[in-house]
Amino acid sequence: MAITLKGVMQAPVTPLKDDFSFDGKGFEKMVDFHVRNGAPAIAWPHHKAESLNLTIAERKLGAEIAVKTAAKRVPVSIFVGTLSEEDSLDLARHAQKIGADLILTISPYCRRPAQEEIYDSIVRIGTNTDLPLLTYNSPWRNGEGVEFTSELTARLIERLPNYIGMKDASFHSQKFLDISRVALNMRPGFSIIIGVEHLLAAYPLGACGSFSSSGAIAPNLCNRFFAALVANDWAAARECQYKISRLWRLFKEQYPSSLKGAMIMMGRPVGPTRPPLPTATKERIEFLREQLDQLGILQTEPQGW
Amino acid sequence: MTIFKPGLVHAPVTPFRADQSIDYDAFARLIEFHLGNGADALALPMPEGEDMSLTDPEKRELLEFAIGRVNGRVPVIAHVSDAGTALAVARAVHAEKAGAAAIVSHPPYFWHPKPAMVVEHLTQIGRAVGLPLFIFNPPVESAGTPLTSETALELVERLPNLAGVVDSSFDWVFMAEVISNARRTRPEFQLLPGAEFIVSATVLGGGGAFSPLSGIAPRLVRRLYELCEGEKFIEARPLQEKIAALNHAVKEAGASGLKDGLAGIKAAMTLMGRACGVPRPPVRALDQAGRTKFVAAIAGIAFLKDEPQGW
Repeated sequence: MAITLKGVMQAPVTPLKDDFSFDGKGFEKMVDFHVRNGAPAIAWPHHKAESLNLTIAERKLGAEIAVKTAAKRVPVSIFVGTLSEEDSLDLARHAQKIGADLILTISPYCRRPAQEEIYDSIVRIGTNTDLPLLTYNSPWRNGEGVEFTSELTARLIERLPNYIGMKDASFHSQKFLDISRVALNMRPGFSIIIGVEHLLAAYPLGACGSFSSSGAIAPNLCNRFFAALVANDWAAARECQYKISRLWRLFKEQYPSSLKGAMIMMGRPVGPTRPPLPTATKERIEFLREQLDQLGILQTEPQGW
Repeated sequence: MTIFKPGLVHAPVTPFRADQSIDYDAFARLIEFHLGNGADALALPMPEGEDMSLTDPEKRELLEFAIGRVNGRVPVIAHVSDAGTALAVARAVHAEKAGAAAIVSHPPYFWHPKPAMVVEHLTQIGRAVGLPLFIFNPPVESAGTPLTSETALELVERLPNLAGVVDSSFDWVFMAEVISNARRTRPEFQLLPGAEFIVSATVLGGGGAFSPLSGIAPRLVRRLYELCEGEKFIEARPLQEKIAALNHAVKEAGASGLKDGLAGIKAAMTLMGRACGVPRPPVRALDQAGRTKFVAAIAGIAFLKDEPQGW
């Protein structure tokens, strides 16, 4: 079955109990909330979901819950990026076994891999599964991070028939276009998904959607944003993008602690954040409440589950 | 007061003779070429005009020459960036006296200054002139210090003549933050991309553009610009992809660790029949192997056949 990826896709946070243990019931509610509030796809566990602070067993358990809860209403993408490639291979096999629709991967972080090393890594993971595969482009300034250049992307498209798209976190006109003009030409339907939030700059250039940070707080805004893009109503889309950008600025501080803190006042508490990330303080939560009030979020977005 | 909106700003290269002196005959022809091929304004010497490789007297002379030749047909924007605040301030004052329409300036080269120092540097430049000031977010690798959105917003508070940002970071987060926040206090605040990535900057709320590739492909750049000004972003996509392919070929050419594209732009100018020499040292011209590869890359860019050949 060919999957269609488009729109502002939701990447749920990982609810934790007060003792920091994984809250499976809470996670079920979180996934279901997103699906009922218009998420065109579910993607887990992104950084927002504290992926690198979860055990591999917890990631498998969460993946199972996500697939079961989404219950084919929308596609489910499982992120298999880890610090160790062996874990990524294991998670990719597991995702296929439990019936996920696709996987998102990156070559192991923290090693500043060369282009050849990224190529080898993605080929190993991509040939290890029959699932469709997205890669995660995460260039940092000054050459750090894991960057997919246009040349690397073209080679991977040639090599992997199941390579269907890119999560692009370059947020950069030149880098985006270098990938898009090559990839969309070689493989029409290649899905470029902006991760996170900054979809307006990329949509006219062929991006199909974004992974959302603010969707746990403001799903209506996300859906209104994408509808404006589809209608080519640029003024309305710009207004939504500016608002989403302001939210992102609030949440990116100690991500995802502030986001989890803000969920309390939306009536959807999801517990603390695992160290070394801090849990939002009372003062921070009060500050977020004022900001969300000013932005009109408290008044226009769903309260509770 | 009417607001100065630069429109499509061509950023010419600086032509050099074989002995590395500025080739003013070629520069005069180049100015006419830009004015005859869609420039609403000129900006010089931008990084693509090798500003860093020119002496202070040369920069002044080049600007005066351009303003004289243009003779009021379009506005001329003076780029004054330097490592030292006093040096940049003095050239800004000179540019105003020489008849420039606006100043563009970025954080000081080399020192990796803290944000407060960047604010002070650009504030002094802005306060030294009555002209509109555009602050420039340079390609981060070349100037060493990016302009942050916080710095830009602080400058909006300090400088009534701050007209906007020329952005070569091409960073969507920066663009969205600057424009949405600056417009809350200064509704006429402008954002122009520093190169031809016009779709993303304009859809985010920008207007106008600086164009370093206009010496190579002015027709496509103009059409892309006009589609974007008309908010025809979907229609603009194929043109934007073509100009991005040209940009890629130019930037990948040459030995520059910065991928500054200087050798590539001048090699392409020569291929289009508008020879402007090669870059000044230490930037290297393309070697034989690099030239062969570049000629092949340019030959693969079909739209260049529809661009003007010669002067």
